[in-house]
Amino acid sequence: MLGLSGYEISLITSMGIAVIFALSLNLITGFCGQISLGHAAFYGIGAYSSAMLTKAGMPLGVGILGAVIFAGLVGLAVGFTSLRVRHDFLAITTMGVGFLFIGIMRQWDFVGGEMGVSGIPGSGLGKPGFMFLVLGFGVLTVLFSLHLKRSWMGYAFDAIADDEDTARVIGLDVSRYKLAAFAMGTALAGLAGALYAHNVRFIDPESFGFVESITVLAMVVIGGIGSVFGVIIAAALLSVLPLWIQFIDEYKLLLYGGLLFAMMRFSPGGLAGLAKQILPKKSSLKASGDTKA
Amino acid sequence: MLYVELLAQGLVQGSIYALVAVGLTLVYGLLRILHVAHAGLFTLGGYIGVLVTNATGSLLLALVVSMLVVGLLGMAIYRLCYQPILDKPPYVALIASIGLFIAMEEIYRIAFGPYGISYENPPLQDVVHIFGITLRLGEVAVGIGTLVLIGALALFASKTRFGTVWRATVTDPEMAESFGVDIIKVRYLNFFIGSALAAVAGVMVALLNNLVEPTMGSVPSYKALAIIVLGGLGDVRGTLLAALALGVIEAYGTIYLGNYLDRDAIAFAFLILVLMVRPQGLFGRA
Amino acid sequence: MSKLLEVSNVRVQFGGVVAVNDVSFSLNEGELLGFIGPNGAGKTTMMRAITGVVTPTSGSILLAGKELVTLPIHSRVRMGLGFSQQLVKPFRNMTVLENVALTVGSHHTGSPLSALFKVGREDESTRARELLELVGISDAADADPSNLPLGYLKRLEVARALALDPTILLLDEPLAGLNHAEAHKLADMIVDLNTAGRSIILIEHNLGEVMRICSRLVVQDNGNKIADGDPESVMNTSAVRAAYLGENTDHAAA
Repeated sequence: MLGLSGYEISLITSMGIAVIFALSLNLITGFCGQISLGHAAFYGIGAYSSAMLTKAGMPLGVGILGAVIFAGLVGLAVGFTSLRVRHDFLAITTMGVGFLFIGIMRQWDFVGGEMGVSGIPGSGLGKPGFMFLVLGFGVLTVLFSLHLKRSWMGYAFDAIADDEDTARVIGLDVSRYKLAAFAMGTALAGLAGALYAHNVRFIDPESFGFVESITVLAMVVIGGIGSVFGVIIAAALLSVLPLWIQFIDEYKLLLYGGLLFAMMRFSPGGLAGLAKQILPKKSSLKASGDTKA
Repeated sequence: MLYVELLAQGLVQGSIYALVAVGLTLVYGLLRILHVAHAGLFTLGGYIGVLVTNATGSLLLALVVSMLVVGLLGMAIYRLCYQPILDKPPYVALIASIGLFIAMEEIYRIAFGPYGISYENPPLQDVVHIFGITLRLGEVAVGIGTLVLIGALALFASKTRFGTVWRATVTDPEMAESFGVDIIKVRYLNFFIGSALAAVAGVMVALLNNLVEPTMGSVPSYKALAIIVLGGLGDVRGTLLAALALGVIEAYGTIYLGNYLDRDAIAFAFLILVLMVRPQGLFGRA
Repeated sequence: MSKLLEVSNVRVQFGGVVAVNDVSFSLNEGELLGFIGPNGAGKTTMMRAITGVVTPTSGSILLAGKELVTLPIHSRVRMGLGFSQQLVKPFRNMTVLENVALTVGSHHTGSPLSALFKVGREDESTRARELLELVGISDAADADPSNLPLGYLKRLEVARALALDPTILLLDEPLAGLNHAEAHKLADMIVDLNTAGRSIILIEHNLGEVMRICSRLVVQDNGNKIADGDPESVMNTSAVRAAYLGENTDHAAA
């Protein structure tokens, strides 16, 4: 089909899922400026929800919808937590949420405990069909991100990301905006997680650990915090490079670690920041959600 | 005797947390950076401890070498990694630090192998009986060593001139600078002492587990972050108390809640619960 | 004259320290009220109680008859309390114009969900440009605020506060840090705003300008109100003279 091999189809599928996942964190961290070190937990909640629903005989659509709703609801709850704490406290709290999720999943027999969930139903669309489903959701996610950035919500997020106190002074209900960011971002992570579960058909708690949270943060940061296209490119690259080249898979973590460090040390604006430095200027209105926050 | 034994175990574990977390909280106080790579220095401390002990047969020498090397490396990390990005938003340093930590773990894996290394003749493994409970000599050494080091640190900070300057700078860097404090010198000292303490913790954990592995810093790094948040970020006394408290809570929690949550999850459940009630941390000022 | 803002018996206490001790005063419609006092008089604390950064231990603050004390900051702002902060804090990830246009569009941003469905900033940008002209910094409209001198930033703060079309404008030390000529110019602009019908409370250390432009003064010292009336007579009361005697009035911090 389309002249693509099965291998290429699975690469594209993984890439698409990674893009959705990375853009979901970009809503929270990139647009609204709230650092999360536990985003993989919501990816996991989505994966577990859809896996359990479809294993109980529900159709794929219900599984995915359940994943989105459930991850979003838990995200809303965590969002309430985020209202109590700020900045560095928030980063550590979200990291705690990630560990709490893994801890609960490991001990909870209903979802397989340490053994995880196997035999998750496939999409029933075939590999190419599933790829198109993922790409479809991917395109919707991208369009949504671009729209959000242009909307007044995105405008308000820019202000909150830069300075919460001043955002209040100009009349923004900062708490509600943060809750909205968490709810949308985590719901979207739930979608990505559901797609992941039906793609690999086996999940266990370790699939959603701290390393995954850091990996997705790496995608957002390396892409350039808040930049939709930068994040897409980073997510696509970082998700398929390890699959592509065995050598990189071996040193995958060294690469992530080194890239994260080097990016922050030498170009805190990520790929988008680099592009802005290199490409000739100058469009007078600079992109909102700039990295100078 | 279970209660007392759990308490003792908790305090030993808490001492290790304390040694790691003090450096972290000092860095936070000075620079407002969450220095995640600190746990990478802790791991390196463990490696150097085992390697030098195996080569020379002297644990004491190993401890000194480890503190020295790791302390200097800590200073280098400040100079090369943090100083150039201090004026950037806080997430920049945080993410750089996470990246550095991941890369350090991978370098240890590549350099020393994925399965870790052990003491050829593990020191301090004899068993002693105190107050009717049984402890290994190593555990006693951890407790006493921590007390001595933290005591010495407290003495240095309160009785010497440089210590006074240091404390003032950690409490309020801008104020100290306006009084003519050489803030760069304080930062170097701060990184040296914090990193050296982490090295001690690394050597001690290596002693208790008789194993040093590339990822041994992961759990302490997350825990130490939780601890300094509980302690009120940048507050040394709060951090020490929080470290001991967490060690004890984990020790009891693992027995009574082990069926529902594992050790790490208990620690973070505690963290989140505390932050819901006191967003400024257990011992932080409002 | 109707009372726009009515502060009654407001008390702010931190632990055992009383920062504001049962202070009452009011702002009438169309007034330009100077709120002054020596360093450490609790002026800033009083202002923070009005804006909502600090919650009073007791007392009431009515804006056009509605109680503010229990409301969060953003709600007070939306009820018509516009304020400029003592420390200028522009959003550094936006241009000067975008800083103001976002505030002009506050009717779009009341609820996040409806803000998501609104796109387009042309009208707001036009209005923002007018406001920048009004405060005299339209030449910096497309500039990055981090590179602007303080005099510009102080006026950006005022423009942003005006963008909300507030019932009351609360200006917290707008002249602090400016040189004599700049302060004079900004003070003139404040008078113009007042003449155009805006009711203003001006918290200031620059007594010269305050005496020159305000129609009424409220003086606070050590957390107590010690005078309230027209500038001349207020400055002649013995309590005020005693409070200011030997005080260094140049300091910006309160």
